Amino acid sequence: MNPIVQEITIKASAERIFEALTNPGERMKWWWGAKGIFEITHVESDLRPGGQWAMRGTGAGGKSIAVTGVYRTIERPRLLVFTWLPDWQAEATVIVVRWDLEEKDGVTTVRLTHSGFTSEGYRATYRGWPQILSGLQSYVER
Amino acid sequence: MAHHKRSDAVFRAIADPTRREILSLLRAREQTVGEIASNFRMSRPAISKHLRLLRTAGLVATRQFGTAHVCRLNAKPLRAVNDWVRDYETFWSATMQDLKRYVEEHQ
Repeated sequence: MNPIVQEITIKASAERIFEALTNPGERMKWWWGAKGIFEITHVESDLRPGGQWAMRGTGAGGKSIAVTGVYRTIERPRLLVFTWLPDWQAEATVIVVRWDLEEKDGVTTVRLTHSGFTSEGYRATYRGWPQILSGLQSYVER
Repeated sequence: MAHHKRSDAVFRAIADPTRREILSLLRAREQTVGEIASNFRMSRPAISKHLRLLRTAGLVATRQFGTAHVCRLNAKPLRAVNDWVRDYETFWSATMQDLKRYVEEHQ
């Protein structure tokens, strides 16, 4: 099992998409907005390497939710990497989310790569994760 | 994206490279604690500690055979990891659709 990779083509410039991903006011407007299950009420974004970001809101049944993370790599507008830590999930998991934006003729291919989860203490080992799962998946499935 | 406390132990167990290595060794066949320990440079008590954690997570089962403890892999709890990944695939796909809709309508 490899990291989760997903691609979508958007008719907009990479800069425009980068802005929607990182500007707090913009992120609040689209993230989870369409589903109506979650309502985001607060977004913070300190856009620099090592800077924190946070999204807070209300989830199903009025329960408050928060996702926080740290920006790791910022190469505007081509690349954005941040960690993703939802408060409703095991503290043992750290997720790294990478956005690659490739613009061509006014259309941008957005590729999302979700990789690695590990305890905070073992953060450095997350690279080994996909290999172990590929081997063990066959056991799970039989 | 439900995630239960129960599976925390599984995620914690596989977050460590030594424990992943132990699981790989046990994929081939059952092994005694001594056999497992002989693959590592760390002390046997240290390996036993890792095995304890794997047992707590339900990933390793042990039985007594004479004086030895024989360990075998139980991969069933890893299903929680699979479910987790599947949930996230759905989640990211929806998130990207939202992004597309928003950006294309608000140039």
